[in-house]
Order: sequence, then C-alpha cells, then structure tokens
Amino acid sequence: MNQVLLLSIVLLPLLGGVLLALMRRAEKRAADTAFLSVLALEAAAVTAYLCLPDATVRLFSMTDALTVSLASDGISRVFLAVGAYGFLLSGVYATRYMARGERQASFYGWMLFSLGALCGMDLSQNLITMYLFFEAATLLSMPLVLHDRTEESIRAALKYLFYSIAGAFLALLAIFVLGRFTTTLDFAAGGTLTADAAAHRTLLEIVVFLGVIGFGAKAGLYPLHGWLPTAHPVAPAPASAALSGIIAKAGVLAILRLVFYIVGADFLRGTWVQIAWMSLALLTVFMGSMMAYREDLFKKRLAYSSVSQISYVLVGLFTLTPSGVTGGILHVIFHACIKICLFLVAGSVIVNLEKTRVSDLVGVGKQMPITLFSFTIASLGLIGIPPASGFVSKWYLALGALDTGIPVLNWLVPIVLLVSALLTAGYLLPITIRGFFPGKDFSAPPKTDEGTAVMWLPIAILGAASLLLGVCSGPLVDWIFTLVAPLV
Amino acid sequence: MLYGLIFLPMAAAPMLPLAGRRSKKLRNALAIATCAVVLGLAVLLLFLPEQTGALKGVAGLGLALETGGFRKVYLTVIAFLWLLTTLFGSEYFAHYQNTDRYYCCNLLTLGALNGVFSASDLFTALVFFEIMSFTSYVWVLQEETPAALRAANTYLAVAVIGGLVALMGLFLLWKTLGTTTISALYEAAAASDQKAVLYAAGGCVLFGFGAKAGMFPLHIWLPKAHPVAPAPASALLSGLLTKSGVFGVLVLSCDLFRDDPVWGTVVLTLGAITMLLGAVLALLSVDLKRTLACSSVSQIGFILTGIGTMGILGTENALAARGVLLHMVNHSLFKLVLFLAAGAVYCKLHKLNLNDIRGFGRKKPALLIPFLLAALGIGGFPLLNGYVSKTLLHEGIVEAIEHLAAHGGFALGMRAVEWVFLLSGGITVAYMTKLFVALFLEKHPTRQAEFDGMRAMNAQSAAALWIGALVLPVLGLTMNRSMNAIADFGTDFLHAAALEHAVRYLSWENLKGGLISIGIGFALYFGVVRTVLMGTESGVRVYRNRLPAWLDLEELLYRPLLLRWLPGLLYPVARLFGENRVTAPLCRGVLFGASAVAKVFGENRVSAPLCRGVLFGASAVAETFGENRVSAPLCRGVLFGASAVAETFGENRVSAPLCRALRRGAEVVSHAASDSLDAIVLLLRRTVFRDSVPKPDDRVQSALSYRAGAIADRRAIRRGVEEAGENRHALQQYRAQRALRQKSRRVTASFSFALLMLVLAVCAMFGYILFIR
Repeated sequence: MNQVLLLSIVLLPLLGGVLLALMRRAEKRAADTAFLSVLALEAAAVTAYLCLPDATVRLFSMTDALTVSLASDGISRVFLAVGAYGFLLSGVYATRYMARGERQASFYGWMLFSLGALCGMDLSQNLITMYLFFEAATLLSMPLVLHDRTEESIRAALKYLFYSIAGAFLALLAIFVLGRFTTTLDFAAGGTLTADAAAHRTLLEIVVFLGVIGFGAKAGLYPLHGWLPTAHPVAPAPASAALSGIIAKAGVLAILRLVFYIVGADFLRGTWVQIAWMSLALLTVFMGSMMAYREDLFKKRLAYSSVSQISYVLVGLFTLTPSGVTGGILHVIFHACIKICLFLVAGSVIVNLEKTRVSDLVGVGKQMPITLFSFTIASLGLIGIPPASGFVSKWYLALGALDTGIPVLNWLVPIVLLVSALLTAGYLLPITIRGFFPGKDFSAPPKTDEGTAVMWLPIAILGAASLLLGVCSGPLVDWIFTLVAPLV
Repeated sequence: MLYGLIFLPMAAAPMLPLAGRRSKKLRNALAIATCAVVLGLAVLLLFLPEQTGALKGVAGLGLALETGGFRKVYLTVIAFLWLLTTLFGSEYFAHYQNTDRYYCCNLLTLGALNGVFSASDLFTALVFFEIMSFTSYVWVLQEETPAALRAANTYLAVAVIGGLVALMGLFLLWKTLGTTTISALYEAAAASDQKAVLYAAGGCVLFGFGAKAGMFPLHIWLPKAHPVAPAPASALLSGLLTKSGVFGVLVLSCDLFRDDPVWGTVVLTLGAITMLLGAVLALLSVDLKRTLACSSVSQIGFILTGIGTMGILGTENALAARGVLLHMVNHSLFKLVLFLAAGAVYCKLHKLNLNDIRGFGRKKPALLIPFLLAALGIGGFPLLNGYVSKTLLHEGIVEAIEHLAAHGGFALGMRAVEWVFLLSGGITVAYMTKLFVALFLEKHPTRQAEFDGMRAMNAQSAAALWIGALVLPVLGLTMNRSMNAIADFGTDFLHAAALEHAVRYLSWENLKGGLISIGIGFALYFGVVRTVLMGTESGVRVYRNRLPAWLDLEELLYRPLLLRWLPGLLYPVARLFGENRVTAPLCRGVLFGASAVAKVFGENRVSAPLCRGVLFGASAVAETFGENRVSAPLCRGVLFGASAVAETFGENRVSAPLCRALRRGAEVVSHAASDSLDAIVLLLRRTVFRDSVPKPDDRVQSALSYRAGAIADRRAIRRGVEEAGENRHALQQYRAQRALRQKSRRVTASFSFALLMLVLAVCAMFGYILFIR
C-alpha cells in the first residue's frame, strides 16, 4: 500500500501531464478541471503520505550498482509537502491568470510534468535517481519560461537551460568521482565514504566543491545565479512562483543530499570547502538583496530577492550545525510560502492594473486591499519581523552560524543576514507604504478590483500561512530538529 | 488575566473597523470599553500575587510572561493613559479621515505594549516590541501629508534598524549565555568569561531599545513624528512607547550589567547628552508639539542619567533607582496632559506654531489649569509629583559624587553631570514658561476675539484631560505615602537596595536643588527667550526659530548615509557580482580563446596541412598496401615458398586457398584504411572545415531573400499597388532573413558552449578513469 502510494505520487502528475498534452484542443474549462483535479489528487496523496510510515520501491536497475529506486524519509516529506501544496495554490491561481493567454493546456501540462519530476527527486533513494530527476526537472520546467514564445522568453529559457545543464555536468563529475570513493550511492545519514577516502581528501574536496556549485545553479548560488533574474520576469506569474518557490529548492535538496547523505558533514567540517561555500552563499545573500533594492521591475526585484533568500538556506546548510541546518530547512518552507505569495501578487498587479514597475504602484492598496494586505504580511515574514515566519528561521540560521566557531565568518554571517534583512525591508516595504498610504492628494479609484476569489484567495491563504507558520512554529521546529539530528 | 491584558485588545482590534463601518459612535464606545476592561484587569492585577505565563512554541523559542511589581505599576499606567487618550480621541478624531485603521492599530499597540512590559525574557520583549513598532507606525502617518509620510518613514526606519540591531544583540546573548530570561541574566553573565562579547551584545540591544526611548544620537524620530501624529497618539508615543525602550535599557542595566560602573558610565554619558540636547532643542523650538517632543527627549535623558547613576553607585543605589522609577511614571502622566492640551488647541485651530496659536488659552480655565499643573510638575515645582522624582535623581547624583570621591573615581565628571542636570531642569522651566505665556497670557494680534469665542473642548475630552491632570497634585501632595508606595513596587525589578532612612523631600537640602533649577529657568526665560529668541515683525513681537534649518542630524547624516552613501558604495560591489561582471568576462575570455582556437582549426590553418600530410602519408602507405607493393611480393614470396613447400610435399590443396584468403584479407584492410581516412576528411570538410559564411552586409543585393523581395517589388510597382519606395519588400525580406540567421547563430553559439562544457566534463571524467583510478 505504501509502495503504491509512493509510486503514484511520482506517476500521478506525469500521467496528468500526458493527459493534458492530449487535451490541447479541448475547451479551457475541461483543461482547468483536469489540471486542478490532478493537483488536488496529488496534494491528497502527499497528505496521506505525510502520515504513513517509510517505504522503498525499486524501479529498475541499470547495472548492479546503478539502480533507480524511490524511498521516503523525513526530508522528503518536507520537500514533497512544500511542492504539492505550493503547486496546488499556484495552480488554482493559474486557471484565472492564464485565461487571458493561449495554450493553457500545454502550460498546465508542463506544470504537472515539472511537479512529477520534482516529486521523483524528493523521493529518490540514491544519487543516480536524484540526478536523473534533477535533469528531468530542468528540461520539463524550461517550457514554463518559454511559454510566451517571445524572443525575450526564448533567450531566457535557453539561459535557464544552459546554466542548469552546465551546473548539472559539474555535479555529474562529482557523482563519478564519488562512485569510486563510496560504499554505495544510496543516501545514508552521515555519508557513505569508504575508508580510503581520507587518503584522497584533496581530490574529493575539489569535486564536492564543484558539485555543490553545480547544483547551486538551480538554487541561484553565485556564480551560476544569472538565470533567475532573467527567467522570472518573462515567465507567467504562476510559473515564476513555482520556479522560485519550489523548483529552485530542488537545488537545495540536491546539495542537502550530496553533502549530508553521501559525503557526510564530518568530512567537510572546518575545511576550506566549507569556508568557500559559506563565503559564496553570504556574497549571494548580500548581492541579491542589494540588486533587488535598486531594481524597479517588480518581478525582477522578486527574482533577485529569491537569489538572496535561497542563499539564506544554503548558508544554513553550510554551517554544518544542527541549528543552522534546521534554520535552513525551516527557511525552505517559509520562503516557499512567502515567495509564491509575492509572485502571485505581482501577477495580480499585472493582470488587474497592468503595471509591471514598482514606481507605478501608487495606491494599489485602495484598489486591491486584500492582495496588498497579504503582500504586507508576507513581506514582514521575509524581512524577519517577529513573530512572522522568517524571523524564526533567521533566528536558527544566525545561531547556527555563531556555533560554527569559524573565525570572522561566525559573526559576519549574522551581520550580513541582518543587513540583508534591512535591504529586504527597503525593497518590500515601500510597495506597501505607497500602496496603502499614497498621500492625502491621491484620488482613490471608484472601486476595488482584486480579480475573482480564485486569484486573491490563494494569495490570502499564503499570506496567512506565512504568519501562522511563524506564530505556531514550535512543533515544526522540534520535528525538524529531530530530522536534522542524525545528519550533523 | 495576564493573557487578557495582551490578547483582549488584540482580539478586539479587528472588530473596530467592522463596527466603524456601521457607526463611528459604536466603534468609539467599543474602544473605550476595551480600554476600561484592560484598566480594570491591570488594577486587579496590582492586588494579586505575581503571575507567570508561557506560550510554548510561539515564534520558535516560545514566549514567557510574568508580572512583577514594576511591571504591575507600568501595566496600570499604560491602561490608564490608554483609556484617557481614547476618551479624548472621540472628539479629536471626529473630523479625521481613515480613523478605523487608527483605532484598530491603537488597540493592537496596546496589546503589544502590555506584552513588552510583561515579558519575562528579552526574546519575548523583542517580539512584542517589533509588533508595537509596526502598529504604531500607522499612528504617525495618519494624516498622510507629505510631512507625516516623511516622519513616518523615519520612524519606521529607526524601528526596523533598531529592531535588527537589537536582534543581533540577542543572537550574541543567546550564544554566550544560553538564555535571555531577565532574572537569569545576572548570574549567567557573572559566570561567563566573554566580557567583550557581552558588552558588544549589550551595546546592540541598547541601540535597539535606546532608539525607541529617544536616546542620543537616535532621538531623531521624536521631534519629527510627534508634531504630525494625532495628539492622543503623541501622548502615547511620548508617554509610553518611549518607556518600552527605557524598559529594555533597565533590563540591561539592572540585570545583565548590574552594578557595572563601566556600563553605568556609558549610559550616564549618553543620558546627560540626551538630557541637555533635548532641553536646548525644546527651548529653541517655536512649534507647540515639537517643543513637547524635544522635552520628552530631555526627560528620557533624566531617566537615563538616573539609570547610569545606579550603575556607578553599585549596591548603594536606592535613591537613584526610586528616582528612575518615579520619573518614568511621572513623565508618562505629564506628557499625557500636555499633549492632550496641545491636541485641544490643534483640534480647533489646526495650527501648532506658537505665533499662530498664542492667546488661544485665554479665558479657558478648563484648558489652563491642567496645562499649568503639568507644566509646574514637569518643571519640578515642590508639592507636585515631578519634584519628588527629580529630587531623588538629584540625590542619587550627589551620592554618586561622594561615592566616586571616596573610591578615587572621576568625581569631577560626576559634578559636571550634576550641573548639566540642574541646567537641564532650568531649561525645562524656561521652555514650559515660554509655552504657558504664549498660550495663556499673550494675545493674538488679529484673531484674539475669535479665539475668545471658541470653546476649548467638549465635556468628554475635558473629563479625560482633568482626570489626567488631577492625578499630578494628588500624587505630589501625598508624596510620602503614594510616591513611596509606587517606588516600593519597583525596587525588586530594579534590584535597588533598601532605603537606609526615609527621604525628607521638603528638607532645605532637597529644596535647594529644585530652587536652583527654577531660578536658572526664570533667568533663562527673561534673559534668553524674551530677548534672543524673539524678534519684531511688523510691529508685533514674534517667536523666532533660531535653529538653522540645515542643522539636522537626520538630514545631515542619517538619510544621506543610508539612502545615498552606503548604497552608492555597496551597489557597485553587488552589481559586480550580481550582473556577472566577473564571471561573464571570464566566460567570454574562455569562449574567445576557444573560438580563436576553433578558427585556427576551422580555417584549416593547422589541420588542412596536417591532414594533407597525413593523407599523403596515408595514401602513400595505402597505395603501398593497396597496390600490393608490400603484400603482393610478400605474399608472392610466401606463396612461392609455400608452393615450393607444397610442391615439395605434393599438390597445393591446402596452402593455395589459404594463401589466396590471406592475400584477399590484406587487400580489404588496406582499402578500408584508405577509405575511412577519406570519410574522416569528408566529415571534417562538412562540419568544422566548412567555409565561413560571407558577411551579409557586403552582399545585400545578392542575398536570395533580397532578390525574391525585389521581384515582388517590381511586380507591385508594375501593378501600381504600392506607393512606397522601390526596395520595400526586398529590404523587408532581407531583414527577416538576417534576423533569422542571427538568431540561429546565437542559438548554435550557445549550444557550442554547452557542448564545450560537455566535452570538458567528459574529458575530465576519462582523464580521471584512465589516470587516477
């Protein structure tokens, strides 16, 4: 029963994608129904899976050593839940957002394919399976960027593709080398390095460093972050939301699996690799916020914000301490929730007000009160104002960094995190302020225009969730601490 | 009950806008009722034993609450002030727009402020502190005028930056001590050997809470925010929200750095500067509410001075501690009355400049008496409550002088602080006299008759103002009972020593200090205010603002620093990395190098001669084999030998077919060798060797699309359809073709990049497999 469920979580969206690909000429209504029912089924399956015990499914073997198999564990539950619920909400929103364009069915289809690949990645039992689904996720999510078929979007999609593939090849190198120095490529908490691995420390350090940089392309880690600010503004808003909130997290998961389940934290702790990773992630945190602060295009601002925020997660992972990793995983959840909300708001602004620049957004709060209010709540979470969710994750991230004991970096990390939080306030709060408080002379538009409930409800749900997840974060934090305990 | 204080107002807050849509009266009544219930709860709490509460898992670490003596007093003061300002607000807000949001945020702030004062650890305090900052932000921008928006932004920036810096302090505290529980800080700090980290942490937290308190140099938000905020909000901001900052400073000074002279000196210095600076700014100001705001800065300075004195005095701090506590309470009460009175003026005139509002208070005893009581109180006149707290603070300073002199400390510095204290007290008297004379004694040159006809305020507002004002003399007259009782409540929290003997407030020693200040005050008023700070304009004496407009810490330093200098410095750095200014040139360099190499090969500069050479050699070899120049003689020789052997043995039935097969095999191999080389050469010619495309711009006329378009043009002209130029279609089609080509080139170039990466990775892999493994 568990195995069937496991398999169906991966296959359901893929089959749904095929179904929608066949429905290209069907009516919009039918496509909507099919799309939403697949997403709802998937969310239900994931919900059931959250409560059931672990299971393993072996799909097929390429050779004796290379098997493609699925297994479930705590980390996969976190990422699956984020993925399934996030896609469900952006999917609901997409049915209205995409109504004004063409080729909805194909868009829905690619959404489902991407979700399927992501679920496969979440549930992978070994590095080979994960790599397989990682590449699949890249290829299957590229058409989401491509959707508008403008020259700009084609270029952006190609950029996304090449960055991801270049990164994946770097990771492949690491996989080849690790194949020689591990007892098995199956994931095991604490790593699977062989006894003679220590003799080849330098080689291993170099390839693992490169592998993480490669997987980091997906997560927007400097130096391979360039695709995010290009791809997000041209993709449709639900796709940007999914890309930034969920698909980019695939990079985080890959790094998590590589570092903690194959190499092992003990092997890397205190080496130049850890310091280099932390420095790069810290650079990305600052750079993303600063670029976002000066960016006027709304969605590009959010894209730079994602660059910065996903590197918060990576900083947490690279600390290799229980608090830091816990903070990182918490931030995966919170950032997904918040960033999907923010991108959907950007989409609503585009659809209802036809504005794409932040400088044009005066008095939005008068026209779209619920939308902007949710935006405000989510922004406060992203900045890290207590008791909203971002505050909780940043608290553990900073403590984790202080625990590393690496000179300079251990206090520099909290400072950069806080400077970046200040910049986050600088690029998000003015939107709220000018939206709700346009000044005395602003003539309010005659009526509110939020779009239908299909548009504002997902935004409101996500906004509320971003606050409530922070306020009631105690059990979540405890659970993630137990997940992280065997890793570090 | 403790939860009720915090969460009842928070729960009631969202209902106010809903009620407000129906009727404003209902909403106001609901707000007043909520405040009244909160006051009831707070008073009840005064008589109950200490309570604690914990909300596990909220905001990660969980919140912890308690009600000690000091907290009980302040919770009561908060509820009292809130009720009175809300009562006053009904009339004040009658002509305002968007008041629903004000009321909603008002109650949210009440809950959050109660949370700050009942927090039993710094983490909880910070959580509520941040909520409070954000909800009170809406107060400041209520009017949405440009000045209000600007002041609100300043307020928000100070709150956000202060909050983040305080958070940094908490990170360090948690890391070093493993706790932020207030009652455990002292022991944990005493056991810790990382003093420097603790000072850094304390400095960060002081920054955050001091910013809210209005401590120099972070006082900038007060003089901006108060004049633009509605009067009830100003009263609360100044009377209570600043105290939440002081609460944090108290926690640091009385728990984390208890009896620490170094810390005490730092706080004392900042406090003394704040005290004097605020007073001078208040004296120079010609705006009623700005004067009061600067006065708040100054009075907070008095309190901080007292806190610093406590640190210096160590275990002998009884007088200073009682002075701090009482001055906090007193200042809250004064500012309530003063700001509400200012609100009554603004409500009618919508002006705050002293020259515009002078004479408004004449013949309005309902306004005059409360204002006078509060002004005398804040000036430290005997028989009012302000006198008591100021006397205690002064006594504390005098004790500190003796203490330092006895222990070989820097007593001269402390003596300077005493004089700053007396001088600031004097300036306080001077600026309050200035306000009182302007409002109630002078006459407006043109509108006095109109003013005299106005009513000061309605009954409800008057009741609020009078209740607030009457508390002052009641406390002052029963000072030995009421004031001492309040002070006794707070000694545990402040860790104050027990009083050695009862203080005789009205002894000559104590009266002397107060009288010196009052003397300085009147001297300043007549010597400075009436001469230097006033001028004559068209025959009328007017108040002049002698403070140069450019002399403004915010405009001069903070805004440029945060909005221009730092981003100007950091943005280029971020851009360098963010837009791949480093990696992109690097990649471009690699690509350029690769393409140069490819060109060398692509244009056959190396491979063609090489291939030709190889080909030549190969063909020579192949010819040698193909035409059997080697194998044929060899075979023939072998054959000959074999046949000779065969002949020797008999007929050639075995060796002859064998030899034939061998010869045939050799022929096939040699042909294959020459053919495969041909194939490779052909492949190279088709792919890498192919001739480069001629530059399109040189041969526009000869491009296929151009020609096709030209034909279309000619036909069009012949038919006379087109009125446009001759080459229209031709150019159009040519451009389309060029765009297509460019696009495809871009795509292939990109693909070749991916190919390059692939090849690199595969090479590395093979290299690894071959050599390392």
